Amino acid sequence: MTGRDLVAHLARFARALRERSVKVGLSDEVDAATALTLVDIGDRDEVRRALGASLKIRPRDRAAFEDAFDRLWREPGARGEARARRAESPARRENAALPRAGWGPGTPPNVAPRPGGIPEGRVPSYSADAMLRRKPFDECTERDLAAMERLIARFALQLATRRSRRLVPTRGRGLVDLRRSFRRALGSRGEFLSLARRARAIEVPRLVVLCDTSGSMDPHTRFLLTFILSLKKAARRTEVFAFNTTLTRLTPWLAPGRVGLTLDRLAAGVPDWAGGTRIGACLADFVEHHGDDVVNAHTVVVVLSDGLDRGDIAPLVGAMRTLHARARRVIWLNPLLGDPRYTPEARGMAAALPYVDVFAPAHNLESLERLVTLVAA
Amino acid sequence: MQEAMERHGYVAEPAIATAAYLATQMRKPLLVEGDAGVGKTEIAKVLARVLDTELIRLQCYEGLDVNTALYEWNYQRQLLRLRMAERDGGDPAALENLIFGRDYLLERPLLRAITRREGPPVLLVDEVDRADDGFEAFLLEVLSDFQVTIPELGTIKAEHVPYVVLTSNRTREIGDALRRRCLYLYVEHPSLEKEVRIIRARVPEVSEQLAVQIGRFMQALRGRRLSKPPGAAETIDWARALMHLHHDRLDREAVDETLGCILKDPHDVAELADADRTALVERALVATSAP
Repeated sequence: MTGRDLVAHLARFARALRERSVKVGLSDEVDAATALTLVDIGDRDEVRRALGASLKIRPRDRAAFEDAFDRLWREPGARGEARARRAESPARRENAALPRAGWGPGTPPNVAPRPGGIPEGRVPSYSADAMLRRKPFDECTERDLAAMERLIARFALQLATRRSRRLVPTRGRGLVDLRRSFRRALGSRGEFLSLARRARAIEVPRLVVLCDTSGSMDPHTRFLLTFILSLKKAARRTEVFAFNTTLTRLTPWLAPGRVGLTLDRLAAGVPDWAGGTRIGACLADFVEHHGDDVVNAHTVVVVLSDGLDRGDIAPLVGAMRTLHARARRVIWLNPLLGDPRYTPEARGMAAALPYVDVFAPAHNLESLERLVTLVAA
Repeated sequence: MQEAMERHGYVAEPAIATAAYLATQMRKPLLVEGDAGVGKTEIAKVLARVLDTELIRLQCYEGLDVNTALYEWNYQRQLLRLRMAERDGGDPAALENLIFGRDYLLERPLLRAITRREGPPVLLVDEVDRADDGFEAFLLEVLSDFQVTIPELGTIKAEHVPYVVLTSNRTREIGDALRRRCLYLYVEHPSLEKEVRIIRARVPEVSEQLAVQIGRFMQALRGRRLSKPPGAAETIDWARALMHLHHDRLDREAVDETLGCILKDPHDVAELADADRTALVERALVATSAP
């Protein structure tokens, strides 16, 4: 294969990777081309390793990389490529459809009937034709919403603001900044007339909200989504996910502005809205696929759910433990907690509790108000 | 490269050797990710030995700033010089030039790495995921230009471009821009065969049989649901511990005594119940008695 063939082939390979939603940039391709000049191009494994390192293939993209490599790097030469490209095209079509696959009506409803022994508290409504249900949202008045947004703006800041360990110059109190003090002193012939100081920087809030949209949460959903939208307004770097039987990233759907409009769009878009719940599986899914990207030591994770889970609790415990270890704070808001008869004995809820920093009710405005003082304390 | 690394006591997989080789040839930083204890830091150390050069290490932590990473002025000396100047009088401008000169500069790892005169060193930026995003951006700038600007001194260019190894435990995702700048290597937990070789290379007193037993035990252990799976570093510690306690084969008692070497999380210790430990030991032993 000549140099030019190699570059063309590499470009095709990079495109195949991008079609498998692996992020590969032009500079990565340049690196890969350089790397290929340095290794034995006849040694397939060596080529694979060199491409892996130079294209910066992360573990989660490994499978896609191996697949593309197997298809495209089978044998050098134009014929092999042509064959590989034909073989690849159905996969491409499939891939293009993939991001939306979970949204369409073709998805099989992933809903098992609820077993008899539901923990008490408030008995949630449940319907098997969850896929077909579109909820009207018409419970809160405009005035409620406005009051709530004001409240939540305050809340979000208190929730997520903190002092960084990084030191920045300040006019007020703080540690002496020798470097700047010295500079100043030079202006007055070496006399330290005033000392420059540094204090810990204030960090930008960062929130991740995981919202349960299953049937048992249905009465509260409008309220809670308003809450989320207001959070998003207050702290722009907020990521929002909805979960019921599957996990859906909502962030791109949340347009600032009209709450009602967004809600209707969401109800239409989120699969299995007002259906069943598999909290554990969804949180585990979240940790695995999004945890690295959105949860770090600065993140406050807010889970909005009643903890009524029908699934196995092991994945829930595992996911909560990871979140608790990685995030700055884990807050669980439970609408059922507003009911004085409720105790968190649902298996899922009980299992998750040890990994929750703040466990609080969220069934009306008043409860959120109390939460503000609780968190601020 | 693989052979060279093995000669220096590092059991390198082809993937690691290829990445290290490319990094030295292409003169690009190598970003190494992987679980704790899989030998990420070790790659940089071995690389320094293979290239026969100095290893300069910058340990990252939250709040790490430019003063600690790049340079700091030696204030005590500057102050003393000022006091002396006060007594003698003299030209203030000349004085300023003097006390903001190279002699009064304390070099921190990054500056030292690019100003080292005797050939390029290996610069290890350890646990880069712990530093803030801001520091990452600064690092990106240094790593792409290999020059730094000190306001009082002007721009200092690199004498040689150092070999750079960055490691990350993935507590936070490294920014795409920095990743682009580097070659990438993800280090997995070692395979059984590799782990046995690591034990033999690092703790030569261990018998082949015990090494295999330890290896099997660790492999089986990583298959469990642990929040902190033990890495190769733990394996080596454990092999050493067993040697100190004069165990020449693995048994239940030995495992109980030394569990602290491999499991470092109370949940994990609790997770590994009595019956489970016995089962793991049996598995490690059965496999070796019938090779």
